[in-house]
Amino acid sequence: MAESEQRRARILGVGHYVPPRTVSNADLTALMETSEEWIVQRTGIEERHFVDRNIGAADLALEAAHRALEAAGTRAADLDLLLLGTLSPDIDFPASACLLQRGLGVKGMPALDVRNQCSGFLYGLAVGDAFVRSGAARRVLLVGAEVHSSGLDFSTRGRDVAVIFGDGAGAVVLGPEERPGHGILSTHLHAEGRYAAKLCVEAPSSRCAPRIDEEMIAGEAGRLFPKMHGSYVFRHAVTRFTEVVQEALAANGLAATDLSLLIPHQANLRISQLVAAGLELSEERVFSNIQRYGNTTAASIPIALDEALGAGRVHPGDLVCLASFGSGFTWAAALLRW
Amino acid sequence: MPPTTILGLGHRLPSWVVTNEELAARCGLGADAMRSPVGQRYYAEPGIGPSDLAVEAAHMALGRAKLEAQDIDFLLFATMTPDVAFPGSGCYLQDKLGLGTVGALDIRAQCLGFIFGLGVAEQFVRTGTYHRVLLATAEVHSTGLDFSPKGAPVSRYFGDGAAAAILSSADGDRGVLATVLHTDASEYERFWCEYPSSRQHPIRITLEDLAAERHYTRIDLDGLNRLAARLLREVIDETLARAGCRQGDVAHYFLHYVDPGVAREVAATLGIGRDRATATAERTGHIASASLPIALSQAWSAGAVRAGDLVCLAGVGAGINWGAAVIRL
Repeated sequence: MAESEQRRARILGVGHYVPPRTVSNADLTALMETSEEWIVQRTGIEERHFVDRNIGAADLALEAAHRALEAAGTRAADLDLLLLGTLSPDIDFPASACLLQRGLGVKGMPALDVRNQCSGFLYGLAVGDAFVRSGAARRVLLVGAEVHSSGLDFSTRGRDVAVIFGDGAGAVVLGPEERPGHGILSTHLHAEGRYAAKLCVEAPSSRCAPRIDEEMIAGEAGRLFPKMHGSYVFRHAVTRFTEVVQEALAANGLAATDLSLLIPHQANLRISQLVAAGLELSEERVFSNIQRYGNTTAASIPIALDEALGAGRVHPGDLVCLASFGSGFTWAAALLRW
Repeated sequence: MPPTTILGLGHRLPSWVVTNEELAARCGLGADAMRSPVGQRYYAEPGIGPSDLAVEAAHMALGRAKLEAQDIDFLLFATMTPDVAFPGSGCYLQDKLGLGTVGALDIRAQCLGFIFGLGVAEQFVRTGTYHRVLLATAEVHSTGLDFSPKGAPVSRYFGDGAAAAILSSADGDRGVLATVLHTDASEYERFWCEYPSSRQHPIRITLEDLAAERHYTRIDLDGLNRLAARLLREVIDETLARAGCRQGDVAHYFLHYVDPGVAREVAATLGIGRDRATATAERTGHIASASLPIALSQAWSAGAVRAGDLVCLAGVGAGINWGAAVIRL
């Protein structure tokens, strides 16, 4: 079959779940030397959600998955493939997707994790899209889920990073698109590993013997916590976000003026604002909810998509662009005709 | 849609060979205490991560395919022992190969990393999304093993290594005829490692967890072996049926499970002679995602398989994941 004749994939249903506990900027000022003004001014974040004790990424994923399955009218038993994007897995191994499968009470279909950080959802979307287009799967569940709160340094030492992240999960169900010209038009995935150290968690590390030790856990360097070169990441993000949206549009013979809504990974409100300005998109054509959730990495795009749908900001026939940038560096975009 | 074929395959085993006697001594056991179905294993030198081993495997695969790194338009990395917590090892390999801004996907499918990765790469190639995909698999298990007398029964199985395959559209009748992927996580704790764990609050691993050795792999081999044997047999049948082949059509079987004795037993049960079956963990230990492609690459180097041969790769491991691929080389 020629590429143009392939049946496209579409998003059949979306769902999200965030844990009930909200943590305000004021709450964080009780833990570390920071200020509400600094957090809002630099990131746009006003609050985030954190899990309570002993909740993992797959637990949040399960709630989001149930909602997406219901929205899609799909039974878990009918899924052909489970994909879970996370950088905060429940356990070392097996993959969190396995825990999600058990939570859903199904078995048999393959379950695997996509470990692409902030671009995890869009890398997963490209995988699911390919499975549906090739006919290898008819129903794919893709979830992005993170529990960051158990991996952050809430002392003053970690304040630049700890204030950014939140916990949450978002899910989509993918299936074949019946309507010509609709569905997932294209996906675009990129990486540039030379910048891996600019945003990373260096331990545990299989290249260290032993992989994890007392110093990694309790040492001054805080090696289990994320390290971010903030200004560097910020600058690359603005460039790459803009570039990959333009790449996706150009690949389909479209321009930014055709775009109904851009849903960027919720990395930082200031990044999204600069990307919008660069693409000459007005504020109502760029979705932002980072104010209430912080950066939920692999979960942010499906959470935002679900909220955009709920707010009536996506209509049939709309051209929607999903885009991401983050650790790796990795960045990606997907263009959809809703 | 055209099928997907392996244009080139390469592997890399570290030069540090660890015999059963050496491992016994390291674990504080007498030389005769290390009865093991694994003959020997290879350990990476300190400071070497999966992406370092994968670079060498990738160069070998590129050489065999007569391609340059610049010909690759997508990278897929499967490992369960990543270089760092994040980003994924694919990002490091992408940089080490000089792949510019080519996408680098990391997947986590444990011991089935190669078969699951092949299943993913196949869809990208068949749909024309990407044209030349580098599928890298690599593990450095040795830095995460328990080298105490208590840990020896598990640690003796594990080894380090990497393999890489370059996948593209097939011409003629070569290529991947069928891939079958399965997960049943209902008893995933039979083969797992719990820590670090994002569900542990306020922090994913503490000094107490470390002292309690919650960061080591646990395997219930007694409970798992019989299940593994059944799943291997079933998935071989299922994949052959999907490929439209009979058991006798296959020139060589590569069977992977942490205990090679179980893989041998499966081959015997199916009536596959020793000359037509490789129990991958026998000579290199359990290298999880990389075990099957290392064995295939070694067989290719040795002339035990050649272009035109039909091969079957099947494995079962943590997840529980199991699967198989039938490929016309």
